Amino acid sequence: MVTPESIKHNIEQGMPVAYLSVTGDGAHFEAVVVSEEFAGKSRVQRHQRVYQTLGDRMREEIHALSMKTFTPQEWQEIQ
Amino acid sequence: MDVQERIKQQVTSHPVVLYMKGSPSFPQCGFSANAVRILNALGVKEFFSVDVLQDAEIRQGIKDYANWPTIPQLYINGEFVGGSDIMTEMYQSGELQKLLQA
Repeated sequence: MVTPESIKHNIEQGMPVAYLSVTGDGAHFEAVVVSEEFAGKSRVQRHQRVYQTLGDRMREEIHALSMKTFTPQEWQEIQ
Repeated sequence: MDVQERIKQQVTSHPVVLYMKGSPSFPQCGFSANAVRILNALGVKEFFSVDVLQDAEIRQGIKDYANWPTIPQLYINGEFVGGSDIMTEMYQSGELQKLLQA
């Protein structure tokens, strides 16, 4: 079974994150990803960056991953 | 025609195209249902929908087309807009409505 921890691990290993949370029940997951790398990037590019860290797991194992992406500055503004 | 060509033809010959699981009347997944709900809420009554569950080639090919591994996928005027999360954010911010009116 896919665990939120394993998804978190892949994202952390694949890109620099200032804050990251992944929750889920094995079938549906939700991630909040805060990274400096998102600055100047479109929503599509941000999601693609996160998907990249998960590689083929996105195609094969993980069927439902919902995510929100923020730069550290955007994240601070909504806190 | 290869699958990438087929997809290109679909997204460029209709103003609004949604690749989804199931049909707009009977979505087979919560994210696809959300995408349809948003289009309906924005008054988009007519859009071209492709049920990827009915076409294995498209189901795989669409993931490569926009380098996007998940479904649903929304295209407006041939451009990839995003999946369910991005549609939700753009709907809430009013951006999606603008894009549809353009």
